[in-house]
Amino acid sequence: MAGNNVFLEMNHVKKGFDGTGVLEDISLKVREGEVVSIIGPSGSGKSTLLRCATMLERMDGGELIYLGEKAAWEERNKKGRPVCVYAPKPKLKQIKKSFGLVFQSFHLFPHYSVLKNIIDAPMHVEKVSRQEALERANKLLLQLGLEDKADAYPYQLSGGQQQRVSIARALALQPKILFFDEPTSALDPELTGEVLKVIRQLAREHMTMIIVTHEMQFAREVSDRIIFMEQGVVVQEGTPEQVFATENTRVKEFIGRLNS
Amino acid sequence: MNLMSMLSQLAGGFLVTVEIFVLTLLFSMPLGMLVAFARMSKIGIIRTVAKVYISVMRGTPLMLQILVVYFGPFYAFGIGMGKGYRFPAVIIAFAINYAAYFAEIYRAGIESMPIGQYEAAEILGYGKAQTFFKIILPQVFKRVIPPITNETITLVKDTSLAFTISIAEMFTIAKQIGAAQTSMLPLFSAGVFYYVFNLLVALVMEKMEKRLAYYR
Repeated sequence: MAGNNVFLEMNHVKKGFDGTGVLEDISLKVREGEVVSIIGPSGSGKSTLLRCATMLERMDGGELIYLGEKAAWEERNKKGRPVCVYAPKPKLKQIKKSFGLVFQSFHLFPHYSVLKNIIDAPMHVEKVSRQEALERANKLLLQLGLEDKADAYPYQLSGGQQQRVSIARALALQPKILFFDEPTSALDPELTGEVLKVIRQLAREHMTMIIVTHEMQFAREVSDRIIFMEQGVVVQEGTPEQVFATENTRVKEFIGRLNS
Repeated sequence: MNLMSMLSQLAGGFLVTVEIFVLTLLFSMPLGMLVAFARMSKIGIIRTVAKVYISVMRGTPLMLQILVVYFGPFYAFGIGMGKGYRFPAVIIAFAINYAAYFAEIYRAGIESMPIGQYEAAEILGYGKAQTFFKIILPQVFKRVIPPITNETITLVKDTSLAFTISIAEMFTIAKQIGAAQTSMLPLFSAGVFYYVFNLLVALVMEKMEKRLAYYR
């Protein structure tokens, strides 16, 4: 299902907070149309990896490449130590257009209606016409089963609906890659289902996605590849079949516990 | 002196009171925003200056500040400002004093905003200014209305401090008439004026709060 174009490449990424290493030399390649899930225990660094990929967090070292364009790389400073250098701002701005991110706790704009949440960035960031933005929004609202919620405000929606709006908001900018940071962790099982349904639907449309999740069954069924992380390193990586049939006791234990 | 002429004199003073009130708000609210930014600046020295400014403005009596602004230029530098400086001096003193309070209210509002709002805006590609004016500020505004209401009501009453340098606002006049007539009535009437004015202020602020109640 995956194409040959490498959409995202992270090489030897290192990241620490106050001296404690959170990511130790992580490398990752995601091709066009691929769905990659990152699983692992809390504190394993999966969210940090996602935040480094989306540039909400600065890497300490390593390379970050989107669609062949370098966003960050390593150089040696005057003292000969390796440091991470980011591309100039205009370049980064252009690179950032290639991806979207869906947050665990939605982060919708509470003072905007559902519709405005979706059309505002296309209109005022991407500068498309209001009509074009509305067309995109209406299509997405329909696709995500939110057509009757356009005029509602976020507080009036259930968590599942809010998360679907935030997916629509991200998709309205037509990103090439969509990141999900534990998109269902703030939802009860019933609401989780409606959000996973949407992600499944996107997978069928070959949206390139990188999903940090605790939903093992979902990861298994929707992913082309699963990455298991622990303590800042990739412990195992492979197709769902490979990872779920692993002999690695730690991975087995983790998957088993969440599966039961 | 009959009741009508007393009331009309008080009303004249009330106009001055309203003037002080309006001009103070007009200058102190934007100035407070600047001070709030300085207080949150990444540059340590600017932050410290703002901190000291707020501390002094809040830590000393407004009455003293009025006197300093009015007499300061002459006593410190020998510059005579003339009679016309009286009213501007009151406005300056009120504006810089209230700016300090407003700055802290704004800062509390801005710092109470969840970081997720900034991150969502950044991911969607909003610039720094867009993020602040479109996403953050409107929400901050809603959050700070209650403390702003408090401050505004205090300001209505504080305008009476202008009597310190003999500005003919309502309180000054009420005191004069009261002393001349040996009557409590002028002061009592002034009290009614202040109270009704504040009822109005509270009403307007409540309207604003209700208007912003369409989201949570």
